[in-house]
Formats: sequence, structure tokens, C-alpha cells
Amino acid sequence: MSLRLQIGRVGAVLVLVLAALASRSEAQVLNSGASTITLQAVLSDSLTVSLSSSAVNFTLTPGSASNPGSTGITATTAWALKPSVGSVKVYAFFASSAAALTDGAGDNIPSADFEISNNAGPFTALTTTVPFGGANAGLLLSNTRILGNNRSGSHTDLMNFNINLTTVPSLPAATYTGTLTIQAQAL
Amino acid sequence: MNTRKLSRITAVALGLALATTMAAAQALNSGAQTIALNATLAESLTLSLSANAVNFTLAAGQAANAGSVPITATTTWTLKPGRTAVGVYAYFNTTTALTDGAGNNIPSSAFFVADNAAPSTALTANTPWTTGTGLQMANVAINGLNRSSSRTDAMTFNINLSTLPQLPAATYTGTLNVQAQAIP
Repeated sequence: MSLRLQIGRVGAVLVLVLAALASRSEAQVLNSGASTITLQAVLSDSLTVSLSSSAVNFTLTPGSASNPGSTGITATTAWALKPSVGSVKVYAFFASSAAALTDGAGDNIPSADFEISNNAGPFTALTTTVPFGGANAGLLLSNTRILGNNRSGSHTDLMNFNINLTTVPSLPAATYTGTLTIQAQAL
Repeated sequence: MNTRKLSRITAVALGLALATTMAAAQALNSGAQTIALNATLAESLTLSLSANAVNFTLAAGQAANAGSVPITATTTWTLKPGRTAVGVYAYFNTTTALTDGAGNNIPSSAFFVADNAAPSTALTANTPWTTGTGLQMANVAINGLNRSSSRTDAMTFNINLSTLPQLPAATYTGTLNVQAQAIP
């Protein structure tokens, strides 16, 4: 092999190597600086009560202890609470203990004669003072303790109603109307 | 200086702790859901009797011909506030109290009722349903304390034949009505 030929081969190899190096140099990535996005998700605390129905009728018998309501009503209480909340309580109450129902002419059925059986429990008169309504005109239906596993949860209270007329035997014939309120409180 | 600074920091920390406690103690209330209640106490007035038949063994021309059994009328009511009185009456439909069906009659004026041991009285007064053939046994004033209540009238009966000395022997039958009325 002549010297000229050898020099030519070496030159060709050098050209190829330089070309390869030049190509690799052009493929290097270019990164920008990192920009951040701040994320915030808010789960608001909430407490709601919904009722399966909103009216109950009674056909009264004078002086009778048993005057059941026409229908039961289910109160569904749903909540999503902050960690500091310890309990959810559901109350039934009237605005006035003296006149749970009235005929509008001065004849009243007091809250002490209005009874609720909650979730098949015993019938209980509305004679307790609760956070809402009139004094001695309410009833605590349920008290749900809030723990780590039920901060978001729900509870149902199936209420059956009765009007006990044994303490008002002289109640005159009339149509008596009233408003029972159901409300929950998380504390 | 350091002591004052420490006191300030302590005060701020206590304030923050109090605020946190107050925030944690705030109650969360649901909306109030209402149930409309409607209770109907219907007006009523009923009268029931302890028995429905009385027999008499008559003695001609005698004033005293007592009935075989007393009867108690129990009147029960539940009234609207506007009612002021309940009256209880005994009466015949006509002046013929009893008859043999052959034209011989015992008039209501010869038929007597003693109510709750009161004097025996002939049925000659007016009632809401008849004229001159009845007796008002009771008149109960209605007030706030007795709008739903009851009363009893124990009736004993007598037929006075002193004004009918010639009444022929026969079987005499009739119907005495006992009825109550609430007014107005």
C-alpha cells in the first residue's frame, strides 16, 4: 500500500469521526426553568336535614291518649365536617311549648301533649329546652359522635307522631294546626 | 427589654390560642325543616241509654204506677267554642203517649219522669222537636272547662191514672224519646 493511499484512508476516517461528533453536539436538549402551580382544594363543612314528607294529619278523639299521626316522617341528616367537630345532634321542636297546635281561637295543644317515637323508640313528649325553638318545647332525636371515620356521613331518624289528649279533656272541637321543626347542629 | 418582649410574645400566643378555641367551639347549624301539623277534633253529641224498655203494671185510677226499671241516659259531647248549652229532653211525638190502638190513650200529661231523684214531672212542656209533649231534664251551660264532657240522667217513670179513671183494661204501648241538643 502506498503512503498516499494510507494518508487518504486516515483522512477519510477523521472526516467521519468529526462529522459524527458534530451531529451529536446538535442533538443536546434545552430545558427552561421550572414554573410552579399552587393547588388549593376546599371541602366546605356542611350540615343538611331533609324530610321524607312535610305534613302530618291527626284525627283526634276527645281525652284519648292515643291519637297517632297519619304518617311517619324520616329526617335524613347529612354532613361533611371539620376535624374539630365532636358530635351532630338532631332536634325536633316547636316555637312555643304552650301552643304546639292551636285553633287560633285560644284553644291550644301544648308541646307536652305532642309525642314522637324516633326509630321505634318510646313515645316522648317535646318538653326539653333545645338550642332552637321555645323553652321546654323540644326533643333531642339523635346524637351522633363524630370520629375519624364519619366526618362525612349521614343519619336517619324515622319519626312517628302522637297527640295525647288525656291532660286536655275539655279541648273543644276544632281544627288545630301547628309547625314542627327539625334541625341539626354540629358542635 | 427581653422580659417585655417575652411578655408580648406570650400575650400574642395566648390570644391566638383563645381565637382558635373559639373558632373550634362555633356550632354549625343545618337549615330548619318544617312539618305542617293538622289535627281535627270533630264536633259530636251522643246520647246512650242503659236500657230500652220499661213495663208498667197499671192499677185503675191510681196515681202511682211505677215503671219496672229506671233508665240512665248518658249524654257525651265534644263541642265547638261557640256552643253555650247542652239540653237533654224526654218527649213523645204526640200528646198520645201510650195507646191500645183502639182509640184509648194515655196522654203525655199522665206520664211522669223523675230525673236524678228530682220531683216527678209530667211531659207537657215544649221541646225543640214537639209542642206540649216533653220535659227538659237537663240544661248544661258550656264553658271553657266542659266543651268536651258528659252527663248522666237517671230517669224513673210513673203513669198517673188519676185523671183517667175510666181507662179500659188493655195493653198500652208507646215510645218515649230521649234526645240532646247543643245550642246555638
